[in-house]
Parts: sequence; C-alpha cells; structure tokens
Amino acid sequence: MTTVQRIWRFKRRLIKLTASKCLKCGYIAYPPKHACPRCGSRDLVSLDLPSRGRIETYTILNVPIKGFENSLPLIIALIRLGDALVMSEVINVKPEEVREGMEVEATIAPSARTLDGAIPYVVKFKPVEGSRKP
Amino acid sequence: MNKVFVIGVGMTKVGRHVDKSLRDLAAEASFKAIEEAKGEKPEVIVVGNMLSSLIEQENLASLIADHIGLRGVSGFKVEGACGSGGAAILAGYSLIASGLFKRVLVVGVEKLNERPTPDTSRGLAWAADADYELIYGVSFAGLNALVMRYYMSKHKITREEMGLWPVLMHENGYYNPYAHLRKKVTLEEVINSPIIADPIRLYDACPISDGAAAIYLASEDIARKLTDTPIKIAGIGNALDSTDLTSRYELDELLAARLSTQKALSMAGVSIDDIDVAEIHDAYSIVAMLSIEGIGFAPKGKAPKLLSEGRFKPGDRPTLNPSGGLKSRGHPVGATGVYQVAEIVMQLRGDFPGIKVNAELGLAQNIGGVGSNITTIILSR
Repeated sequence: MTTVQRIWRFKRRLIKLTASKCLKCGYIAYPPKHACPRCGSRDLVSLDLPSRGRIETYTILNVPIKGFENSLPLIIALIRLGDALVMSEVINVKPEEVREGMEVEATIAPSARTLDGAIPYVVKFKPVEGSRKP
Repeated sequence: MNKVFVIGVGMTKVGRHVDKSLRDLAAEASFKAIEEAKGEKPEVIVVGNMLSSLIEQENLASLIADHIGLRGVSGFKVEGACGSGGAAILAGYSLIASGLFKRVLVVGVEKLNERPTPDTSRGLAWAADADYELIYGVSFAGLNALVMRYYMSKHKITREEMGLWPVLMHENGYYNPYAHLRKKVTLEEVINSPIIADPIRLYDACPISDGAAAIYLASEDIARKLTDTPIKIAGIGNALDSTDLTSRYELDELLAARLSTQKALSMAGVSIDDIDVAEIHDAYSIVAMLSIEGIGFAPKGKAPKLLSEGRFKPGDRPTLNPSGGLKSRGHPVGATGVYQVAEIVMQLRGDFPGIKVNAELGLAQNIGGVGSNITTIILSR
C-alpha cells in the first residue's frame, strides 16, 4: 500500500504522463527511465505524451488485490499514446463496452486509499465522446 | 571455471500446507537432498524465496540453516520474484564454478497460504512496477491477461487453442505424487471456468501453493565421491527485461526467455533441437506459449498451433512439463525454479515418480514477473 510521501514524490508524473526519450537512439520509454533501456545512454529528455489515444489491450479484473476490494470490476488497459504505451484504469464505461482500438482520453480521478489514509488523484482514462459504438 | 553437478534433490508435496510452516517445508526438502548426498554437510545454503515478508519473516538463510543443523555455514537469500528459485541456483552454481566452495545446498521455499487471498495477490503483484502499475490495483493475473488478449488478437488464436495447455498439464500432473492439483480436466471445463481477469479464466492460472524443493550442488571431485548418478549443470543463463509492461520492445515476446536460453545453450555447447525434456514456467496459459516460443520450441505466435497438432505430450520430443507444470504441480513461487531443476534431474536419472521421459538432456526455465527475470538451465546425464 503506497504512502502519501511516495505519491507526493511522483505526483507530477502521475498526472502529466511524462515519458523519457533517448537523444542518442530515439527510444521512448514509459515509465520514464534514468538511462535508455535500449542503448544505455543517459542523455535523455522528458516527453509529455498526448492525452488522447487508443486502447491496445485491456483486462477486466473480477478478483481483487488487497485495497481494491470495492473497485470491482476493475478495467485496466494498455493505451497507445503517440509512440508510447501507458497502463491505466478506464472509467466511465461498462465492462461490456470496452474494446481494443477504443479511443480514450486522460482525466484525473481518485485512486484507492494509501496506507496512511489519503486518497491520491491519478491519471485515468475515459472514452472519447462518440467512441462507444464500434 | 569448475564444473558443477547436482548430487541430491528433495521436495515436499506442493499444496495448501496449513499444518506446516515455512521452516518445516524447507527442512523436509533439505533433509531429502542432503540424504541423497550421503549426508555430506553443505558449506553454504542459498535460499530462493519471494514473499516471506508477507508472513513477516526475512533472514531466511540463517533461519533455515539453523533449523536443519547447519549453524555456522555461509548463506543468503536470493529474490527475483517468481524467478527466485532459478536465480538462487545461478548464485549457488557460481559459488562452485568460481572455486570458492565445493558443497552448496540451494533451497527454494514459499508459504503463500498463510494470508487471505487478496493479501497474497497483492504480494504477487509486487513483481510489477509499484509506482506505475500496482497503483491502479492490477493483479498479477491482470498483467498476464493484458498480454494474453494482445497475443490472441495479433496471432488470431482461439479460446479453444489457448485451453489446450491446461488440459495437457492436468493430464501430466495427475501422475505426479508431488503435484498440488491432481485431477484431469476437459477443454470444456477450462474454457467455461470462472473469469479471474478477462480473458484469463481459473483454469488458465496456476494455484496459490506452498512448498519447498532443494538441490545439492557439488564440485566434480565431491560428486564422483558421493554418487554414481551425478547430473551436470551443462549450461545456465539469466536475463532481465523491464519490470513494467509498457516499455517492452514487444508485448508478445519474452526477450529474457530468448536471451537466457541463448546463454545456457552456448555454455552447454548444444542446440535447442538436442533437448529431450523441459520444465517450463506456465504460471498462466499465455506464459506457457511465450516461454515455448522464447526458448525456440515454436516460432513466434505458433505454440498454440503446435499444441493443437499434438506436440509436446509424453512420447514427443521435447516432452514439456511431465510434472504437470505450474498449472497442476503448482507454483510455490520462490521454490518453483528449484522444483523444475529437481524434476529434470530425476528425469535424467530415471527416477521421477510420475510420467517418465527417456532423456539425455533437459532444460528448465523459471520466469519472474511477466518475463522480467528469467533463468534457463540445461542439465545433462
């Protein structure tokens, strides 16, 4: 279970969707790395990813991990944002409506409580209006 | 580099051991392995374990050593998520290969059924990226489900084809007295079982298991002195990939499976076609497919097709998971890599108590995380 100071430390990244881009080989990584995973270069820049993209793959969890017992069914997706993939929760959608290729956009929403009782706000995704029907 | 041999193995039945503690399980497996090594005292104990913190017990090497009469020996614990056992064997192997020691006991042990399932499930998800993945509440099954849907979509694999693996594993494990789930299942039961993390269903997933396995590693002179059936560790390789799924090169390929296999094959001086039997890490049906393809037993995206043609069953070469694999033998997380090697050793000696494979050369692949820490080991008679 995460803590307030942990959330505080990477709060910008949780709401900004910042990847790292290697200036040597161009590899884009999300989460951002301290060195390029492909070529090892430490010559990296931060890259803000677009806030709109498409679901590449998703799952609907029916069995919870501790702390998320009241969050079921939980829809988790890998979302393609430009040249990067991010993992997030998809909200404002029924489980049977989710599909690969669905267009989604970032929004800020509350997460599960931390160990010390705070409710952090994180980036989640919701369907872009008009993208619900195939 | 000195040669390294396995001169003793031991394992407990895998299962839900409400009546046995972590130290009980570790002692049972260790005593069997030491007994096979004619009671020779190990100089070092290396423990493979992922989640003993869940039961508020760390410092496992000293705990176990002291409980099995080895106070004063050297030792430490190795952690690499579900790949802890394989990583512990790599550490033990290195201690002998380097010439520093001649007698090393590697013990893999895990006690998962001490806590409510949501607690254990959260612990297993610690193998993921805590800051970027766990924060959304994704379970380990959920992470693998993301990969499974992508794989099925990209390679046009049907639900029925993905269900062939669990059926085969339950068939094999039925004959393994050490297996957790000793019952045969039908394809209909697999594809109609409850959904855990869509598209992963109950029978795509390994059980939550307790268990311990031990192998006794020795230098060549000690091995010749103590046994007539030493099994050689011919090659061993480990490779790491990203902890997170999102920055992977490919979602439908286990880079570390391929790299660790290449390292092990190169060290052993053999090709993948020489392998007679293998124990692979099928935590979920999808992981079995990716492991088969990463090792090179099937081209990318083709493992389900080969299974539907009847490949990898007993009688085929290679035979995969005669133990029943993680699906049926079970998955006592940090112990699994040691079980796999103990099982291959018994196959090569001809004394595995379940389905037997006539084999000269065997392979074990132990996977941590969603392919982020993989050890591949090649053993020869």
